[in-house]
Amino acid sequence: MDFAYMKNVLPLYEKAAVLTLRIGLEGIIFATFAGIVCAVILYEKVPVLRQLVMVYIEISRNTPLLVQLFFIYYGLPKAGIVLSAEICGAAGLAFLGGSYMAEAFRSGLENVAPLQRESAYSLGMGKLQTMRYVVGPQAVATSIPAFLANVIFLLKETSVFSAISLMDLMFTAKDLIGLYYKTTESLLLLVIFYLFILLPVSLTGAAVERRMKYAGSGS
Amino acid sequence: MPDLGLDVLLKGNNFFRLLEGLLAAVKISMVSIALSIPFGVLLGITMTGKNILVRFLTKLYLEFIRIMPQLVLLFLVFFGSTRSLGWNLEGETAAVIVFVLWGTAEMGDLVRSALTSIPKHQYESSRALGLAKRQTYFYIILPQTLRRLLPLSINLVTRMVKTTSLVLMIGVVEVLKAGQQMIEANRMNSPNAAFGIYLVIFILYFLVCWPVSMAARRLEKKWG
Amino acid sequence: MKKIKRILIPLLVLALSGCLAGCKNTKDNYRTLEEIKKAGTINIGVFSDKNPFGYVDENGNYRGYDVYFADRLAKDLGVKINYVSTEAANRTEYLQTGKVDVILANFTVTKERKEEVDFALPYMNVSLGVVSKNDRVVKSLEDLGADDAVIVISGTTAETYLIKNYPDIPLQKFDSYATAKEAFENGTAVAWANDNTEVIAFAMQNKGYTVGIPKLGSSDTIAPAVARGNTSLLEWMNQEIEKLGEEQFFHKNYDETLADTYGEEYKETLVVEGKKTD
Repeated sequence: MDFAYMKNVLPLYEKAAVLTLRIGLEGIIFATFAGIVCAVILYEKVPVLRQLVMVYIEISRNTPLLVQLFFIYYGLPKAGIVLSAEICGAAGLAFLGGSYMAEAFRSGLENVAPLQRESAYSLGMGKLQTMRYVVGPQAVATSIPAFLANVIFLLKETSVFSAISLMDLMFTAKDLIGLYYKTTESLLLLVIFYLFILLPVSLTGAAVERRMKYAGSGS
Repeated sequence: MPDLGLDVLLKGNNFFRLLEGLLAAVKISMVSIALSIPFGVLLGITMTGKNILVRFLTKLYLEFIRIMPQLVLLFLVFFGSTRSLGWNLEGETAAVIVFVLWGTAEMGDLVRSALTSIPKHQYESSRALGLAKRQTYFYIILPQTLRRLLPLSINLVTRMVKTTSLVLMIGVVEVLKAGQQMIEANRMNSPNAAFGIYLVIFILYFLVCWPVSMAARRLEKKWG
Repeated sequence: MKKIKRILIPLLVLALSGCLAGCKNTKDNYRTLEEIKKAGTINIGVFSDKNPFGYVDENGNYRGYDVYFADRLAKDLGVKINYVSTEAANRTEYLQTGKVDVILANFTVTKERKEEVDFALPYMNVSLGVVSKNDRVVKSLEDLGADDAVIVISGTTAETYLIKNYPDIPLQKFDSYATAKEAFENGTAVAWANDNTEVIAFAMQNKGYTVGIPKLGSSDTIAPAVARGNTSLLEWMNQEIEKLGEEQFFHKNYDETLADTYGEEYKETLVVEGKKTD
């Protein structure tokens, strides 16, 4: 174990962790937004849009992120669409995550008993009001464990960003192995940094799940 | 319509090479899932045991595998373990090891939750009927859990097939690498091949995963 | 149940400790000349996406300058050849973990690498070079603006050189030649730094590119590499390369694999025929 080396490259890992987290969070935020929209469309059975959402979910869930990224980053520019690596990363993650988030929120919405919605209507509340004050809050609460599971899943998926030249944790480790041949040290730091990022989310998820006694998860 | 470079796929046996690459990926996931199911059942049964140390160790294993990105695990096994243990692994073998470790963890957890979800009175009734512990497992508990597991494990197949795309990063010539080689060999005469080839790979993955997911969902509805 | 536990626990402990605490030193991980002959197959690491040095044609066969040489090595050794596709950053690793017997992937001899692997006699001259698009030819690295990124391939001498001498240039790193070239064509960076042999080939094969800096840093050589300490294989390789030099093998190799790209112009500057350096 070469601790001097590990200390030397630590700043590189810190930088990489920040990048991993930043693009990861950007992707997760967009994915959450897309997920909410899709879930509501499915729940309210909006015609046409509903079919589109279903097609999107199937495509997104049945193709690997790596292949999605290769197509967006290396393929699309040939058709004149050039995006920066960072935008590609966030967009790819959002494209993938949107469908998983949609599933999480949809099952949250469907867990709210129809009786509640009917009662809200009979009280004279509109569709939007019902969603805002009655169904929405409960659905959000029940979908938190699945949501957190998706967050972990998406943060893990960021490791493939290395394929589009983003200097995330994975690429940093790979690059350092190629430069200085310190395989064990580089891999150990990689594991430590991922634990550092993912363990808190995972523990929160477990705690929430225990409290809500809710089984089942996202990915 | 600009030239999308699809002509590259018609040269020589290029398209066949893409399919071959895809087959290599599918094979890795099939072998892994076949091994993961028995290991996972064993792990799941072990996890319901009473020994605290065993429960702690299995939990540690489960959490570690679940938290680490699969790509990190692939690197740990492909580069890390070959260094520290002094053995030589091919990319494919390393991939199968990682996928089995991962699959076993996932299956194990599914089995555990399926086992614990079976009401306690079933265990007690079968004991009262004079069935031995082993008999209880074989005739009462396992048949019920396996039925719940089938759709979930089919789901795991889709996830594994998708994850096989990562083996590109540990030097296995699978569908993406084959695609890259074609793009590279034809850079001069088909500069746009990247668009066509990556699109075709995208579609190929979808065509493999989609039917499997559909089957899983149908079974889940039927048996869930 | 007890039995299962007895098997499972050690397995798990082994798996975890093996993965986590990999602190043990590398033991000799190579196959000697005899072992390779006995096995009947030699594993050679080459590029599969570095046209015209190592690439795969439309029938799935490996081709190029490195491959032409590798084929001859296997023929003279009397064994079959198993090509292993490698990326730049993995070359040392593949040798050290015994995944290949020989690396023939445009591997530049450097002082740092000599501490990790053993190089045989060189078969090609090389230096670094920088290629850019015709509308903005980069003639000197000092001309680059603060935001002008340069593409490098992870694990190459170009990467090491730029990190050391131009730490302020933002680098865009890729792990394969295929992806680096793709990104360069797509215009994500102003220039691509690599072995000058490769960037010259790229500018010749593709319209609209100029090698603004044909030579950068020191003049180096490219040589086959074997695992450190694998003397039997190394000595055989050296004899073989000297023998090949006598029959001007690498000139013939150039004619067969590189002349299409470079013409005759670079033949004498590029080819090395089995002579000792340093």
